[in-house]
Amino acid sequence: MRKVFLIIIVIATVVFATGIWYGGKLGDFIETETVGSVMCLSCMGIE
Amino acid sequence: MSRKRIVQIIASILQNAYIPALFVGGIYQGFLKRGCTPILNCWGCPLALFSCPMGALQHFIGLQLIPFYIGGFFGTIGMLVGRMTCGWLCPFGFFQDLLYKLKSFKMRLPKFFSYFKYVVLVGVAGVIAYITAEPWFCKLCPDGSLIAGIPLVLADKTGDLRALVGWHYYMKIAILLGVILFSITIKRFFCRTFCPIGAIYSIFNRFSLWRLRVDEKKCIECESCQMVCPMHVAIYRHQHDIDCIRCLDCVKICPTMAIKHEIR
Repeated sequence: MRKVFLIIIVIATVVFATGIWYGGKLGDFIETETVGSVMCLSCMGIE
Repeated sequence: MSRKRIVQIIASILQNAYIPALFVGGIYQGFLKRGCTPILNCWGCPLALFSCPMGALQHFIGLQLIPFYIGGFFGTIGMLVGRMTCGWLCPFGFFQDLLYKLKSFKMRLPKFFSYFKYVVLVGVAGVIAYITAEPWFCKLCPDGSLIAGIPLVLADKTGDLRALVGWHYYMKIAILLGVILFSITIKRFFCRTFCPIGAIYSIFNRFSLWRLRVDEKKCIECESCQMVCPMHVAIYRHQHDIDCIRCLDCVKICPTMAIKHEIR
């Protein structure tokens, strides 16, 4: 049973890590880089 | 000084190490901002080298895009270590740990308040961000006020930013003051009741690769672990508690060594 859990955890981790890679391919990294420049000051209440 | 404190200090510095901001002002907007910190650390902090994953998540939700990167990021860390990053790496958690050390009357927080962070995650950072296309959690976040809003306005030499300060800014300062006051009297008040990042990681506490394990045969239910716990978790009752931040203070204090940490 313990081994089954471990396998499920490893598979889930790989799936999530693949999500990072796939997001990167779609341009999520570049989008994240620009997040604050779009919204930063308005989020601070400086607008 | 404990190992945890040293790690908290180093992590806080490394995540906010854009030294040029101290001399020339502004906010770092370079390549490293493509990466996220695994905790709450405002993008707008002049010293911040990385992005805040909660701000990024709301940004993608507001754009009505599936956040593959941020979702995968949260999931990978959650599956590996659960809420450990809250205990060891979060500067705002560290700040609250220090606030609780101040001498004052202390209060206990009823357990049901711990579930409010899911309302914040789904309601404020999810539904409202989706409907309004605005990162509403960021607009209320006390960490943003502490490490970004206040420093930016104080360091504003031209007075341009100061001229733009309005009611929203003062509301955020009021929220920050409220969180500070409650954090002096209640252990890690913000982490337990409001933090949406903690809410996400807490879901993984039950399944994570690295976890705590309590030997019920050895446990004498002395409650030392709960007393020393920065989240006031009774780990001997719930070893996968949603509020356990895996800081390992309980492992050190347990007189019978009933609590251990292990990789499954």
